[in-house]
Amino acid sequence: MAATATLGKRMRTIGFHTGASALSLLWFLPIALILVISFRSTDDVLGNGLNALPHSFAPGNYSAAWSGGGMQQALINSAIVSVPAVVVTLLLASMAAFALSRYEIPLRRTLILVMLGGNLLPPQILLVPVAKLSQVFGLYDSLPTLIAVEVGFGLGFYVFVLQGFMRTIPAEIQQAALIDGAGPFQIYWRIVLPLTRPALAALAALSFTWVFNDLLWPITVLVTQSKMPVTPALLSLQGQYVSYWNVIAAGSVIAAIPTVAVFLRFQRHFIAGLNLGAVK
Amino acid sequence: MSSHTISRRGLLAGAGAIGAGLALSGCATTTSRAGSAQQGGAITLQSDLSSPLAEKAMQALVAAYNKQSKYTVNLNTVAATTYQPLLPTYLTSANPPDIYTWYAGHDAAHYASKGLLLDVGGAWSTMGNYQPALKALSTDATGKKIFVPTDYYWWGVFYRKSQFAKWGLSEPKTWSDFLNACATIKSKGVTPIGLGAGTGNAWVAAAWFDYFDIRLNGADFHRALLQGQHSFTDRRVVDVFTTWKQVLPYFDPNGTAVTWQEASNQLLQGQTAMLLTGTFFADAVPKGSIDDLDFFKFPVIDPSVPDAEEAPTDGLFASSKTHNAAAVLDFMTWMATPAAQNLWTATSSGTVIPANPQATAPSTPLVQKGKAMLDAADQLTQFFNRDSSDALQNTANTALINFIQNPGQLTSILSTWQSQAEQVWKTA
Repeated sequence: MAATATLGKRMRTIGFHTGASALSLLWFLPIALILVISFRSTDDVLGNGLNALPHSFAPGNYSAAWSGGGMQQALINSAIVSVPAVVVTLLLASMAAFALSRYEIPLRRTLILVMLGGNLLPPQILLVPVAKLSQVFGLYDSLPTLIAVEVGFGLGFYVFVLQGFMRTIPAEIQQAALIDGAGPFQIYWRIVLPLTRPALAALAALSFTWVFNDLLWPITVLVTQSKMPVTPALLSLQGQYVSYWNVIAAGSVIAAIPTVAVFLRFQRHFIAGLNLGAVK
Repeated sequence: MSSHTISRRGLLAGAGAIGAGLALSGCATTTSRAGSAQQGGAITLQSDLSSPLAEKAMQALVAAYNKQSKYTVNLNTVAATTYQPLLPTYLTSANPPDIYTWYAGHDAAHYASKGLLLDVGGAWSTMGNYQPALKALSTDATGKKIFVPTDYYWWGVFYRKSQFAKWGLSEPKTWSDFLNACATIKSKGVTPIGLGAGTGNAWVAAAWFDYFDIRLNGADFHRALLQGQHSFTDRRVVDVFTTWKQVLPYFDPNGTAVTWQEASNQLLQGQTAMLLTGTFFADAVPKGSIDDLDFFKFPVIDPSVPDAEEAPTDGLFASSKTHNAAAVLDFMTWMATPAAQNLWTATSSGTVIPANPQATAPSTPLVQKGKAMLDAADQLTQFFNRDSSDALQNTANTALINFIQNPGQLTSILSTWQSQAEQVWKTA
């Protein structure tokens, strides 16, 4: 009895590990393919096809993508956009969420529902208004405009998530602070914000990857090549008819490094972020 | 006590961040306005030549211009895939880029009819030696010159010389020669005709439609058809597809699944034997393999129809809202000179023919053969989308891909195409 039970348990463990390894291998395959292609020479890729075994080793693709393909400038632009966008979004969203969750504001529910509803709309329907308005206001083709747009489109979702989280903070803490003479801003800054840190960290990690990987808004509000962040820069490595996929693969690897770094650093928060949306 | 300092610091930091953002945006807008409003200031050349080779050639060209001119041109390269959908946005924006790389013909005339393009007649005053066909292509409906052609290229059926030699084949001249060649190649176990009309490349199928139509019905009918003067359900259009059906069994069965670049790769690797394509193909060929490549003219089907060939013309047009028309015209005049066009053909992939007859075309046998073919042609067409519009190209993509996959449903495909095309012509 006992022997069969341990055998069954062991079989299950083995099954789990083979299954999981096979799945992760399958998942890793496209990434491995990109890595292999990024080290093949142009003539090798053109002559033998994308899926052929490598016949060459050309690390020069990386320098071609970095300087010739403009990935260096693009990464700088992406940093200029992503970091302030994340900081400003979270600052504004946490303020709004604080007010909406801790105070009896009239039309509170409506406001939250409008924010949630706005998230359900596809952003594509706003492409033309955003492009036209930024031109009318003379803000077209500048990085601060892109930051503003990213902040605006992230805000609704972050407010919704943060207010759900802040609601779980017991009211007694706030009342105690009130008795001690703290004003609303102090309660927000000294009491609620520190308690919201796990949610803020998760959202910061998520929103960084979203803003960094966004393609739609950069190509809508920017036009100058030297201002483009990473995603459109990768796109512009493609030619009108012919694309050198080895250089594009090298560019993609470079473009993936910051998001992978953020993921590895904030891995814990990513997983925490998965159940953030679950409103208690 | 400490709570006061911290909250104030937080508040200041927040205010600082917002202030910095505003200041930055203020800077960016003022500089861009000042740049274009200033007479004699730099102008922007918006280019969709984003492939590494072409971009480098374009950079060299702009650098050469800036060196000898009192004006400054800034090159701004945009991914080809985003350039086309965004071009109307660029042209209608409040402060548009000045000069654009684009196609001659009906497509440019379409923008001109909306008053978006600059009259470049000034540049044409130095271009008296250009062929009348190019002049006509660059003129809009009101007789205004709106376009400066820089180069053109040709389409042909490309093949590998070594493969054809191995099979004992020579270049087919007539339709029956072509069918025989297809049968021979198929008997050797190789797919005779590659297509490459997969995701995003459906437009390459239009080359077959164009060629069947100009070989069977002539270039005049073809142009009239694309302008809406004939119906796609016309008997003559049906003829195009019945002829096409004769070679359809020789097409790559995955032709509508693989991309054009994959199809070009299949030809290089000997998996397919022939590919109807434009000379931009040369960019997809590794160094050393180009010598094995050759092309032949699309076979003559009806000898009584005068020969016409596809010769897509590329060049420049400019926005009518430019703040420095003098610089725009100066740059365009320079781009029309033999010196500039020689530089371009020498630095780019080298399979284009300069538009200025005084410029020297690359001396490779391939280009000389292509140029001879175009010179001998009775008429030149552009390409489906350039002779009509991008909107009509979309209807063609749907219809042609559907035909290749379901040739039996031709009648319903053509009537659907006609009704979609009528929508396009109505709104144009």
